[in-house]
Amino acid sequence: KTVCDLNLSSVLMNSNLVHRADSFFLATKMAAPLTLLLIVAVTIRAVLFRSSWAELISERVEVVSPLNAWKRVVEGLALLDLGVSPYSGDVFHETPFMIYLFHFVVDYAEIVFMVSPDLVFCLSRFLTSLKQKYALESDRYPADCLELLRSPKEMFYIPLKVAMFYLLNPFTILSCVAKSTCGLNNAIIALFILCTLKGSALLSGILLALATYQSIYPLTLFAPALLFFLQRLYIPVNLRRSSFWFFTLQYAFIYVGSLVVITGLSFFLLGSWDFIPSVYGFIFSVPDLTPNIGLFWYFFAEMFEHFRLFFICVFQINVFFYTIPLSIKLKEHPVFLIFMQIAIISIFKSYPTVGDVALYMAFLPAWSHLYRFLRNIFLVSCVLLACSALFPVLWHLWIYAGSANSNFYYAITLLFNFGQILLVSDYFYAYLRREHHLTHGLYLKKKDGTEATLVLK
Amino acid sequence: MSHDLLQMHLKAVISCLVIVLYKVHTTKAGQFFSSGHTNNWAVLVCTSRFWFNYRHVANTLSVYRSVKRLGIPDSHIVLMLADDMACNYRNPKPATVFSHKNMELNVYGDDVEVDYRGYEVTVENFLRVLTGRLPPSTPRSKRLLSDDRSNILIYLTGHGGNGFLKFQDSEEISNMELADAFEQMWQKRRYNELLFIIDTCQGASMYERFYSPNLMALASSQVGEDSLSHQPDLGIGVHLMDKYTFYLLEFLEEVHPASQANMNDLFKVCPQSQCVSTPGHRTDLFQRDPGSVLITDFFGSVRKVEITKDTINLTSPVEPPIKRSGSSDIQIESLTYVDQLPVAEIIHQKPKQKDWHPPDGFILGLWTLILLVFFQTYGIKHLKHIF
Repeated sequence: KTVCDLNLSSVLMNSNLVHRADSFFLATKMAAPLTLLLIVAVTIRAVLFRSSWAELISERVEVVSPLNAWKRVVEGLALLDLGVSPYSGDVFHETPFMIYLFHFVVDYAEIVFMVSPDLVFCLSRFLTSLKQKYALESDRYPADCLELLRSPKEMFYIPLKVAMFYLLNPFTILSCVAKSTCGLNNAIIALFILCTLKGSALLSGILLALATYQSIYPLTLFAPALLFFLQRLYIPVNLRRSSFWFFTLQYAFIYVGSLVVITGLSFFLLGSWDFIPSVYGFIFSVPDLTPNIGLFWYFFAEMFEHFRLFFICVFQINVFFYTIPLSIKLKEHPVFLIFMQIAIISIFKSYPTVGDVALYMAFLPAWSHLYRFLRNIFLVSCVLLACSALFPVLWHLWIYAGSANSNFYYAITLLFNFGQILLVSDYFYAYLRREHHLTHGLYLKKKDGTEATLVLK
Repeated sequence: MSHDLLQMHLKAVISCLVIVLYKVHTTKAGQFFSSGHTNNWAVLVCTSRFWFNYRHVANTLSVYRSVKRLGIPDSHIVLMLADDMACNYRNPKPATVFSHKNMELNVYGDDVEVDYRGYEVTVENFLRVLTGRLPPSTPRSKRLLSDDRSNILIYLTGHGGNGFLKFQDSEEISNMELADAFEQMWQKRRYNELLFIIDTCQGASMYERFYSPNLMALASSQVGEDSLSHQPDLGIGVHLMDKYTFYLLEFLEEVHPASQANMNDLFKVCPQSQCVSTPGHRTDLFQRDPGSVLITDFFGSVRKVEITKDTINLTSPVEPPIKRSGSSDIQIESLTYVDQLPVAEIIHQKPKQKDWHPPDGFILGLWTLILLVFFQTYGIKHLKHIF
């Protein structure tokens, strides 16, 4: 028990000030490996940008979607230069803020894409991991759970691993070389997570509004962010307490207010509300059925018109639906809830790309302590690797060779999403199981002293 | 005296011969000119696609082959094949379509001209070909340019049922539509006589609604019966022909352009012992007796030759064109091709590219907000660290 107490005290020592000093210390110690990593990542991207593969990659449907293709951004800006609204026709589906951002940097696109999304993302993830606090976990640990707790030494390399997982992930590299604006969306979400974990409700609300403004799905991240702040401020999540409602209303006010302000500003950029049907109408009603790695295109390609509205509603509700049960289950673990939500958005959104997949995969090293409870990790990694390899093969067979058809590509899409879902649910199971062990002890014994096994019901 | 008698006898014999020959001549001439047609057309349609319907394409191509052999030129044949068997990926003998097993007869050859291919074979296109209501841009090879002195052979094959024929596995033509199309053809005088042959299951149902004159119809099976396929070829892997068309092809191979085989022989092709189904025919709308209708009236293009003993003078001079007067006062200087159009006036100068700038209000508002948020988060006291 004393050993346990010692460890607990060391864990509890991570109060705000000490933690901050600690994190700065850690950050400086890791500056050298981080810089090395950055140099390697930038080199890889630079090499790919200059090679002939850049053209090929920016055409791939797995990497770009109608929402974030660079070709369409250029087209939209060209239309703007010709005096036509970029939202006329079905070309451009970016928000007006993107127009403003790219208006100046369109010639230096490569550098912009290399620098901002990936760097911002990795830096924010880096700092995020540093700030993850495990002191908020429960303080009644049974004696044999020591091996479950993470020592600071283990946690030392997690930020570097997170940065590495993101920067050197082939999905990210492909997405960056294709100059897909998915990287920018990822950067905004990463900044949002950083601000949430730092505790600044204002910035977090504003960045969440910005992320929602970009694509609507980060709306579901409102719940985990709210839960995190409530936990941080020690407000119990009780619907009858006025303090709960007070803070919720504050946060919701910041969020909705900034969303309104951002939307209003976008109106003033072009002077019209064209962007709303072009961006949000496009995301919701899925008119473009170009194949991608998602689940929408095949269904809606073969659907009768009079069922279309019904199934659009079903599919879109499917994205938002998991928020409520997951929030109820994971209300004490909002950081993991953020991870789950991001994963669910990446799988079920209407136009997913591999950039979205890379977004939640970067988070995985933060849960490396769950490895011992993961049950399907071999299967999942094989499935994901095989599917990633088969995507271009079956595309070629379908479109160019003509000896396959859309069913082949759809099968691989299904399998890929199945692998992702299995990965996410496996981590969920592992997390819950670890929580269970933390409260009930690692080596469970039945009443008569023999070893018990844990069964998922 | 005997010399005169001999001469008289000779004259009598000669006149008798002449009379006899004349009579023969009139009957043959009667036959020649009583059919009333001057040109022949054929519309041959295969309505099924996919590899396992190889036999329908082979059916159509064997009728095409016979019709071409007997003299109808490609310009008078509208051949509609719904799928390409010769160049199908699954064809182990590419560029061939066999009608007999063991590759005895390749009906594809190297001079097949398909007018409607693949997805162009639709009910709409078929009816448009028959009625002539095609868009003006349709080429001549895709039109049925028949007139009121044309004998038309129409051959359909594919999958059918009681009262319909299936096109391309996605649509159908009904017997009423077909009958109405023929009535339109009759109203517009697009045929003299029409022979309709159909080789599908329950094919007789397709001609039971005809109501226009001068139509004769044959079908491979009665209502309620299926037309069966003939031989599979194990090397190619599919059935090569349907029974009815197989025996029809055998019958037509015996026919040559001068043959006198008539329709009654055609009705006897493929009795039930050979075909399993009962072929049917309909002649009540036809004016002539089927026994007097030659096979080559429909399947061949037997040219009517009229021997004349008059001479036609071909050496009369062609009149020179009349010179136009009074057109020499306006002298138009000759223009080169480039100068014919005042290009500079037509094409405006490209307007200078006006770059789009975001409105100032927007920039102001955005950066004010960003600064506000920054100071709110970090506090103003940090300013002195920055500066």
